[in-house]
Amino acid sequence: MMKSYFDDLVSGIEARLAEDPENRSPRKVYALEVARLGQRLYGETESVAWCGVTAPFDLLAAMGVTSCFVEFVGAMLAATGMEGAFLEEAEHAGYGGDTCGYHRAVLGAARKDLMPVPDFLIATSSPCTGGLAVMENLARHFEKDLFVLNVPQEASDAGVRYLADQIRDMAAFVADHTGQRLDPARLRQAIDNTNRARTLLEEAYQLAQHVPSPVTGRMMGNFGVVMALLLGTEAAVTVARTYRDAFARRVEKGEGGLARENLRLLWIQNRIQFKNPLIEMLEKDFGAVVVADELNAITWEAIDPDDPYEGLARRAISIPFNGQGRRRVDHLQKMAASFKVNGAINPCNWGCRQGTGARGLIGEGLKAVGVPVLNLEVDCIDSRNFAEGQLRTRLEAFAEMIAGRPSPWH
Amino acid sequence: MEVFLGIDIGSLSCDGVLIDSHGKILAATVVPTGARNLEAIERVRREILQTAGLSEAAVQATVSTGYGRDRVENRLAAVTEITCHARGIQALYPDTDILVDIGGQDSKAIRLDRQGGVQDFAMNDKCAAGTGRFLEAMARALQVDITELGGLDRGARDNLTLSSMCTVFAESEVVSLIASGTETREIVAGLNRAIASRTASLVKRVGGDVNALNVAMSGGVARNGGVVRAITAVLGRPLAVPDNPDTVGAFGAALIARQRFKGTAGHQT
Ligand SMILES: Nc1ncnc2c1ncn2[C@@H]1O[C@H](COP(=O)(O)OP(=O)(O)O)[C@@H](O)[C@H]1O
Ligand code: SF4
Repeated sequence: MMKSYFDDLVSGIEARLAEDPENRSPRKVYALEVARLGQRLYGETESVAWCGVTAPFDLLAAMGVTSCFVEFVGAMLAATGMEGAFLEEAEHAGYGGDTCGYHRAVLGAARKDLMPVPDFLIATSSPCTGGLAVMENLARHFEKDLFVLNVPQEASDAGVRYLADQIRDMAAFVADHTGQRLDPARLRQAIDNTNRARTLLEEAYQLAQHVPSPVTGRMMGNFGVVMALLLGTEAAVTVARTYRDAFARRVEKGEGGLARENLRLLWIQNRIQFKNPLIEMLEKDFGAVVVADELNAITWEAIDPDDPYEGLARRAISIPFNGQGRRRVDHLQKMAASFKVNGAINPCNWGCRQGTGARGLIGEGLKAVGVPVLNLEVDCIDSRNFAEGQLRTRLEAFAEMIAGRPSPWH
Repeated sequence: MEVFLGIDIGSLSCDGVLIDSHGKILAATVVPTGARNLEAIERVRREILQTAGLSEAAVQATVSTGYGRDRVENRLAAVTEITCHARGIQALYPDTDILVDIGGQDSKAIRLDRQGGVQDFAMNDKCAAGTGRFLEAMARALQVDITELGGLDRGARDNLTLSSMCTVFAESEVVSLIASGTETREIVAGLNRAIASRTASLVKRVGGDVNALNVAMSGGVARNGGVVRAITAVLGRPLAVPDNPDTVGAFGAALIARQRFKGTAGHQT
């Protein structure tokens, strides 16, 4: 079922892109590569690894492994409106309904045989220990080996060496399971792709900061976190370049993503994954555009192709979700300033400690730089819990509120 | 005569306020929303114009608010109840810092600037615990009318704490408290305190230290004297409550209609 879904998706997007090859929509180019990843995951021809969010996907790609973080499945199910049955399956099996919906959906999907059986699993202790527990659970379910990367909280020399050593061990673990040694030339190529994509992404994010911003609210949803899955491949470079070029064209012409940009918003953590009218409503009724997402940012340095392990370790440690909440606050304050946002929206994803646990700190931190935050308290995966009217009222009231005051950056 | 209409379509009541070009209230009306809110909206329009002795043509602009705000036809704009309540209360009590608004299905705390603008707001979570509907369910369980509930806490020793604020559980808890002979005034006082404590946390979320702040209350639940007393006690601040707390939102909507109408007229000339 999923195989044909992704096959159809790929051919559908390819056809749309072919209609106007000169003007390829960056979102479609991105969606195409994500769909191709889905195709490979479900294709039953390649080695597959289910992973945690901060796994080194480029290293895995260099070793011929198709890999993906498990939360992707939850987001995909919600995006296609299918999550209900899988959440129920997990709940029937005894998983609490007040845990993270991404994880409930994944556990349900595994139990209903919707996930391809992996060859092995690679868990990461960051960004959340709930994710780690899910990986342990899945390893038992699939009866496959699990490798755990323990990501230290600080980028001290010792911390970086500690994680770099684990990544080396991980490579040996992968080689044992695939029967293929790591080819240094392929690794160098993969790291080179990562670095090229990194530069292009950095440029794209910079261009997105322009006033008016070349982005529209939908263009960048989930982008940063999913792009990590493509790193190491030529596809990452293609996607990043398409975005960069599209933004550059708009900025050059002085065009915004929206014809009239009145308000600029920062979206905290991840988006609401199921179909909902909120982003369009903000744009249409208020000219309010989500110009930045917390997770759309490059927080790491280019990686040394000759000795990539420390660089890979530093990258995993660098994500703002790792370590103290203060790091997220610092990161968000910087983003708020560079994107000149009028306000921020925190979905406070139901059951997520990153989402609900840090909301007070984040609210205070952004308020301190003049940026008000709206806490939505929404389950980003479970549309059965979606109270559209209530959320609409909160968002509209928030937009009315910030529309009535000067931008903090004037 | 130029008049401006505000209509607030709430979950339980549909309110209308008609003002003149100076912002003076000419007429106000409250009708039950019922199952068909379009009918309620029409009834409000009809009744309010009748009371004021005016025709539809006199209305220069209408602003709608409340959860059914998008259903009002011939409107200049739809504005959320948060913005409208803030504007309405500021006109009634200009030095209000924080407004507590408890209606049929939600409760909110709104931090105001002195111009009637919203600085911050916090709303209850998804469930209706501690809102007007919650109180109605409790009144049913106690077999008293909702309008009587507000006076029934008098003389309570305040020694009862309810263990749940979920409407369903609280209702059965109330039933078993009655069965075990607990006095009504203790039960009612317990309910009021539970609502007050939830309200106080919303207030603190937007106001921090409320000691020096002026707090007002709007929404139908402000008619419930017991709840008002309990919130006053928990906050340690007096609450300013207007005579018609349920029409504050509609009043604010009418004021916004007046302002925006003048704004657009100004731009056109
Ligand atoms: N006379 C009254 N005495 C006590 N409570 C009242 C009275 N009138 C209304 N209420 C309370 O107000 C609630 C309705 O508030 P209202 O602001 O009209 O709600 P909405 O805006 O959602 O329609 C009722 O559920 C009830 O608890
Ligand atoms: S939403 Fe929170 S709990 Fe869920 S996967 Fe993300 S960080 Fe983990």
